Amino acid sequence: MFDPKTKILIVDDMLTMRKIVSKILKELGYSDITEAVDGNDAWEKVQASNGYGLIISDWNMPNCTGIDFLKKVRADAKHVKTPFVLVTAEAEQAQVAEAIKSGVDQYVVKPFSKDILKGKLELTYKKVSVRLGA
Amino acid sequence: MSNTAHLIDKHEGYTIVKFNQELDYNQSKKFEADIEGLIKNDTNYIVVDCESVGTIPMDCLRTLLKLHLHLKKDNKFVRLYHVSPVLMTYLKKEGVDTTFKITKDIKDALAETGFSPKKGLDAEFVNPFLSATIHVLKVQAQVEAKSGPLHVKKSGEPQSGDVSGVIGIVSDSFNGSVVISFPEATFLKVMSQMLGEEYKEISKDIIDGAGELTNMIFGQAKIILNEKGYGIKTAIPSVISGKNHSLSALTKGPVVVVPFETNAGPFFVEICLSN
Repeated sequence: MFDPKTKILIVDDMLTMRKIVSKILKELGYSDITEAVDGNDAWEKVQASNGYGLIISDWNMPNCTGIDFLKKVRADAKHVKTPFVLVTAEAEQAQVAEAIKSGVDQYVVKPFSKDILKGKLELTYKKVSVRLGA
Repeated sequence: MSNTAHLIDKHEGYTIVKFNQELDYNQSKKFEADIEGLIKNDTNYIVVDCESVGTIPMDCLRTLLKLHLHLKKDNKFVRLYHVSPVLMTYLKKEGVDTTFKITKDIKDALAETGFSPKKGLDAEFVNPFLSATIHVLKVQAQVEAKSGPLHVKKSGEPQSGDVSGVIGIVSDSFNGSVVISFPEATFLKVMSQMLGEEYKEISKDIIDGAGELTNMIFGQAKIILNEKGYGIKTAIPSVISGKNHSLSALTKGPVVVVPFETNAGPFFVEICLSN
């Protein structure tokens, strides 16, 4: 599983959802958590930082969607390998396919429980461990 | 969520064939077998939703052509809709763009058939919202909800809440809206459950929770409805708050009201549709 010191970015235009994800992450032992309100805000934070160890993002947001934010991350040589999980109410097959094609590591459909999110994070970690050569 | 590469959905007088994704070899063979089944057993007009594909394997195209020629004997046809520019280029290259009439949406595809796309405020449309409401509240807020008897709202009938999530329903052939409306006490209990701490008043910290719940319920219902060919598009919810507010329906049309009882208190869902 991701190290407890992992720097995590949560992206969602809804404060309630940011609170829910943040609460679960804290219960799982993570404390270095940053929040962004949309894809543009998130991208600014990514560029201003040395990168995040994990990004958890919604899809439908104003200004810049989660998918467009994901594409920016995957197009940037510095951040291309960042583990990226989409947490979204969009769950039709065409949308999941688009997300996978855009480079998402895992896809969580809302609603979700703590166990579901934890399981998806474990799967993400396993996948990126191979990618990062850990 | 469906895991089939294509869907065949029969309606009265017409059948929708929907590609859910680009087809690989095995999926193409399944598709061809299903279309051959339609040639043998079906005499409906066929409309093909191509939104999710940029190409159609040649063998699948040939089978669709065979179906079209079969239907032509009865003055019926196969039509394609939601054809992207990429797919159109491909169809032109294969020389079949004029064989199948390409239309903008299902309404156009069914023009001249005498049939309209299904769009009723019936159990098939309403039930996915009810099951989604129960599922979302259970998973996200650990709240057990049970729906009561639904009724069609009468003109002037009062129906009010303190916090409401509202989302528009948009498809090619109909519009509507869904409202999830909570009394204050129920909303505070639901949000307290969702967020794991007690909230005693509605504040900016929690108010968008009504929108998020509406977003999740809509998303879950949309999966089921779009598998049935309703073609509902993504939408973003809004939140209305204010003691005892009431909402006029966003569109003209019948409004179904479904009351819910939960261990956190009552709330209701309103669904409205119009042509």
